[in-house]
Amino acid sequence: MPHQCTNCGHIFPDGSKEMLSGCPDCGGNKFQFKQGSVDDATDAPDAPSDSQPAADRSTDSPETTSTAPESPDKTATGESSTPTPDPTSAPDPQTADSPPTTADPNTTGEATDSAVADAGDAELMDSTSSQDGESPAQSTARSDIVSDDELPDAPPSEPQSPTADEPRDPATDPDTPADETASEGLDQLRKELNDQFESIRIVSPGQYELNLMELYDRNEYIISLREDGRYVIEVPDGWGTDEPN
Amino acid sequence: MGLLTNLKDSVSRVTDRLFASDDPKRIGIYGPPNAGKTTLANRIARDWTGDAIGPESHVPHETRRARRKEGVDIERNGRSVTIDIVDTPGVATKVDYKEFLDHDIEKDDAIRRSREATEGVAEAMHWLREDVDGVIYVLDSTTDPFTQVNTMLIGIIESRDLPVLIFANKIDLDEADIKRVADAFPQHETVPLSALEGNNMDEVYDKIAEYFG
Repeated sequence: MPHQCTNCGHIFPDGSKEMLSGCPDCGGNKFQFKQGSVDDATDAPDAPSDSQPAADRSTDSPETTSTAPESPDKTATGESSTPTPDPTSAPDPQTADSPPTTADPNTTGEATDSAVADAGDAELMDSTSSQDGESPAQSTARSDIVSDDELPDAPPSEPQSPTADEPRDPATDPDTPADETASEGLDQLRKELNDQFESIRIVSPGQYELNLMELYDRNEYIISLREDGRYVIEVPDGWGTDEPN
Repeated sequence: MGLLTNLKDSVSRVTDRLFASDDPKRIGIYGPPNAGKTTLANRIARDWTGDAIGPESHVPHETRRARRKEGVDIERNGRSVTIDIVDTPGVATKVDYKEFLDHDIEKDDAIRRSREATEGVAEAMHWLREDVDGVIYVLDSTTDPFTQVNTMLIGIIESRDLPVLIFANKIDLDEADIKRVADAFPQHETVPLSALEGNNMDEVYDKIAEYFG
């Protein structure tokens, strides 16, 4: 299932990594699933009115949709497109559904009151928990194959999987290409995504591994972890924007 | 080499002071879990403001959100130095709820604490990047200072050219080994103390005024 920029309507083909760096047209960083065939979703911009808003992200403030391409992590929908090999489990695509807050501990101290659940065996940036009521769009978005032109660093027909090091049963993996070229490209892609996203890994509920350098290097910071592998981040004011505030 | 480094540091501190604004420096208290950071923060805050900053506990990761105390006036040698203190959660590369189970905490609560502690580490790292002007690095002098966390954090602090003091805490305990701490980070000044007992606090405040004033 392709995604669509909620700001300018730019459509990203299914599994596109391009959106992870923000919308190339407007710099927007909020996206929604776009109903329709994958074939329709190439690079043609489209009006957002005919798309299906995902979850609670249909209302966007102008300032939060104007970050520049170097703001990959706020668009958490990108990595949630195909995080798990099981097409029947349904990750919530919205991993950044809370509004940004400040870094002041006096104001953020109460941001972490969600209960711990039992579905946290995924990387932080993933959303692998099972959910009820998954739409076919979400299912398709996770299970479809990334197109060749969207993965310049990887060979074609790569399943996009940012969860390379997760303790997940390999037997449940989908039809991963068996040839060496594909494997090499997959490793490359995994490394790329891990380098890009991985700062906290949920080994199991209540057990975490932290990449301190990655946490330190991030522009945004994680305010709260959610029980299902989702997380809330704080995005600095004017982060990556060219517009004066 | 050490002499040159010390000279360079001294010149750097003087230069920094000359060009510093009048705003109080924000000093982050960093270190691994259970090093005594909150005990130290409370000691400093109580000594100079009468208020505490946060609850102290033997349970690791008791501090899971950064806490700040602003406008702490420390008087030294006839002059007053004002700093803001930020007590940060203990930094670790792994957080496991099982370590809380040993402290009579139920599993559900332990898992919640673990998650909050992880968030706290993220917050501490964020503050280190964005919001502190100097660092007090607190170590438990009864434990081995040669750890990945300590090395990495000190390296980050050095890369930012932040003034840093190493505090070898818990010297009231028999197993304390101040020299081991000093040897681990010879490039930085190590100050022994017991935040719990209030031992050597005069030197602590002298150094804070010297480094962060």
